[in-house]
Amino acid sequence: MTHVVTENCIRCKYTDCVDVCPVDCFREGPNFLTIDPDECIDCAVCIPECPANAIFAEEDLPADQQHMIKLNAELAQLPTWKSITKRKAPLPDADEWKDKTGKLAELVR
Amino acid sequence: MATPIDTDALVIGAGPVGLFQAFQLGLQGIACHIVDALPHVGGQCAELYADKPIYDIPGIPVCTGRELVERLQQQIAPFKPTLHLGQTVQSLQATGDGRWAVSTNTGTAWTAKTVFIAAGVGAFVPRSLPIEGLAPHMGQQVWFASSPLPDFAGQHLLVTGDSDTALQTCLDAVGTAASVTLMHRREHFSAEPARLEAFRAAQAAGQVRFVAGQPTGLVTEGESLNALRYLNAEGTETDLPCDHLVMALGLSPKLGPVADWDLQIERKQLVVRTDTFATSAAGIFAVGDINTYPGKKKLILCGFHEATLAAFGAAAHLWPQDKTLLQYTTTSTTLHRRLGLI
Repeated sequence: MTHVVTENCIRCKYTDCVDVCPVDCFREGPNFLTIDPDECIDCAVCIPECPANAIFAEEDLPADQQHMIKLNAELAQLPTWKSITKRKAPLPDADEWKDKTGKLAELVR
Repeated sequence: MATPIDTDALVIGAGPVGLFQAFQLGLQGIACHIVDALPHVGGQCAELYADKPIYDIPGIPVCTGRELVERLQQQIAPFKPTLHLGQTVQSLQATGDGRWAVSTNTGTAWTAKTVFIAAGVGAFVPRSLPIEGLAPHMGQQVWFASSPLPDFAGQHLLVTGDSDTALQTCLDAVGTAASVTLMHRREHFSAEPARLEAFRAAQAAGQVRFVAGQPTGLVTEGESLNALRYLNAEGTETDLPCDHLVMALGLSPKLGPVADWDLQIERKQLVVRTDTFATSAAGIFAVGDINTYPGKKKLILCGFHEATLAAFGAAAHLWPQDKTLLQYTTTSTTLHRRLGLI
């Protein structure tokens, strides 16, 4: 079990979630945050923090986001994706991308 | 450090499960101390869910986090647990005679025969601004709103945040401070209507002003803080002069030192056995969100069950020669005596 960041985060990266994570399990990429499944303790504190509703518990993940379980785990292992523990400014056009769907092609590794 | 307090039981964490732990220990005739990082009891129920409804407490169709905490306080009152609030347990070490030496960041220390870790997702600590260089100014010119604040008379005060605490910190300084400014990324506050109204009135009277901005750094001269640098609504970097900066950004949980206590851990959760909720160390129990075992569910009501069996486990640990009897609160005169009914 873990929590998973879904496609909703792509090109938004509000980072509100990282502030509340008790175990600092978020990793930051250029335009997406991922959760390291080996670190996440399923406390669920991050879920209501996300302005884009991008975070789900693994078992509550929508059917069209199942691929994000594997992707979160994979991205968390990339050496260029560093731990992020303090909130920072969202991406400049975050509000425009917030409610868009099908953003997977936009993901930058 | 003060002389350690000798106790049969120390409960780390005053959330719902830590409070109920004190109740179950009381029924077993074990007096306890409770320590928590927050200045009040309730843990996540008070900090994250105070006004939100809970529907799965047995026998209570619905109550808020705050109501649940109030009821638990009533329930444990007969056992008079000693509360130590606003301090975080830093170290937990074996004493060599089967007891545990525990101490907090404010210097309180215990020698405890049993320890109950009910620390949830960790200690709630104040959030700070995501900017560099705050540390040397902490306690001098930069403050957390949740800690004791100095007198701002004649000073230029800058407060950051959007909460009740942020607004109240501004209102408290009106009349004495040379100026009071509140900064948040947008002019939208998550505060109680009455406090918001008071703030708006002070704003209209020119006693406080609001600046929309995203802090980016500190402007210093030698050891002194002169201003906060921020991105304004137009995206331009600007300096806002201030003598004092108060961060009222709320609290977030941090697991902190629990992970360093040399107990068996799986994914940062304490591994327990499910008959007594004992950890890998004799005399240390873990209950609530911080423990893990096959089938673990992070529910308050499961924490209540865990605390009950942990109290039986503690009684067996404290008095291994005695058989721990199951008694009912309905009929047992021993329990009635402990509950202060007779």
